Amino acid sequence: MGSYFKTGLVLMAFSIVVGLMLSVVYLVTSDPIASAELDAKLKAIKTVLTDPQSGKLLISEDKIPQDMEQLNQIAWKDSGEADLFHAQKTQSFVSSPAYRFTLEDGRTAYILSGGAPGYGGNVVIMASFVQSPSGYGLFQVETLDYSGETPGLGANISLEKSRERFAQIPYSGLQAGVRVDRDAGVNPTKDPATRADARKNGVVIISDIMTGATITPRAVANTIDTMFAYLQAQLEGE
Amino acid sequence: MEKKNLVNEFSKGLFQNNPAFVQALGMCPTLATTTSAKNGLGMGLATLSVLVLSNIVISAIRKLVPEKIRIPVYIIIIAGFVTMIDMVMHGFTYELWKTLGIFIPLIVVNCIILGRAEAFASKNGIFPSILDGLGMGIGFTLALTLLGSIRELFGAGTVFGITVWGDAFNVFIMILPAGAFLTMGLLSGLFNWIGISRAEREKQRAKLAKQQAKAGESA
Repeated sequence: MGSYFKTGLVLMAFSIVVGLMLSVVYLVTSDPIASAELDAKLKAIKTVLTDPQSGKLLISEDKIPQDMEQLNQIAWKDSGEADLFHAQKTQSFVSSPAYRFTLEDGRTAYILSGGAPGYGGNVVIMASFVQSPSGYGLFQVETLDYSGETPGLGANISLEKSRERFAQIPYSGLQAGVRVDRDAGVNPTKDPATRADARKNGVVIISDIMTGATITPRAVANTIDTMFAYLQAQLEGE
Repeated sequence: MEKKNLVNEFSKGLFQNNPAFVQALGMCPTLATTTSAKNGLGMGLATLSVLVLSNIVISAIRKLVPEKIRIPVYIIIIAGFVTMIDMVMHGFTYELWKTLGIFIPLIVVNCIILGRAEAFASKNGIFPSILDGLGMGIGFTLALTLLGSIRELFGAGTVFGITVWGDAFNVFIMILPAGAFLTMGLLSGLFNWIGISRAEREKQRAKLAKQQAKAGESA
């Protein structure tokens, strides 16, 4: 009985020492962790507010939040830890919070984050929706998490050339429903004008640069669809 | 411990007893994270850090731990170091941390770490344990980096993200799980063939030396 008690005490002592060491490391790293997460978010916001063709920002640089306090000020919808919206059919979701910006020319832009299941986990993106005379169109997309996707295949979704294919989908395309060329039965093309025409119908031509990896771009398309549905529902309610 | 033995403690893990290619230990991260050279190097360095730190602590406390509970104590120490490395990587190498994902916490169950703790650090002093951890860790890192470089080169035409031949020649299977098994098998075969050739050469050299000594005696 005594030996059991002794071994129990030894095990407990080691657990307490290791626990104490972990709490010290946590105290040292908690600020850098929060800072790294915030930096990644701010970088993504800047990317989705940048015109993919001209490389110009839609708002002046000083209007982009620099810290958490400034970021909280531009929050449009915030549900805390819970997601803002879930689409049962595609298992895609819109994360909280969503942000609202007023652009230089007075138009409104909404920035939403969300994801859908990809090949090895959720593919999480951030997208900007900018006001146009017909309605809100998708302006730009940035990938936030694609760690479950296969490098060289699905992970190519993070490349600029892949993200460009999803950029600038007009209101008509969003209303028609966003889908990848393979699902829409459209043949891939290298011609930018034909690709832009396809986007007007919600078709994203991407299989020519993401051969053998349809699941990942499909997850992005589903997420954009869910984001648009959420945005429409919220704007109608306002 | 003699200087020659210390050198041997360090060098055995690099080639002769390479944890990945010769001992076939830690196969899960070896096969799953080596989709690119950068991922292989990052995973290898994270494992190396945990291996050296846990070897130091386990060697230092080896006389304090009762025999019956040595494995739970080793696991607590290893898990503690893995969690620390995870937090440090999250804060300071955010992109790499995101890419390696679940495989960082899984270092806890990497059998190289517990294997070296049980087989070496728990029976030897701190300095030899550091050398053992360094040798095995560097050997593992080199193996993962080599595997990742080959798979990235043939799968995506790049190495460490630098274009070598780009899209001109891509074998998609190389970055899929099957490619990991193929590359691993070929490299293991190569390492074993080199090891066997070297052993045979040494055997022949010893045989020749024996014959020369015999001839010298009879003369």
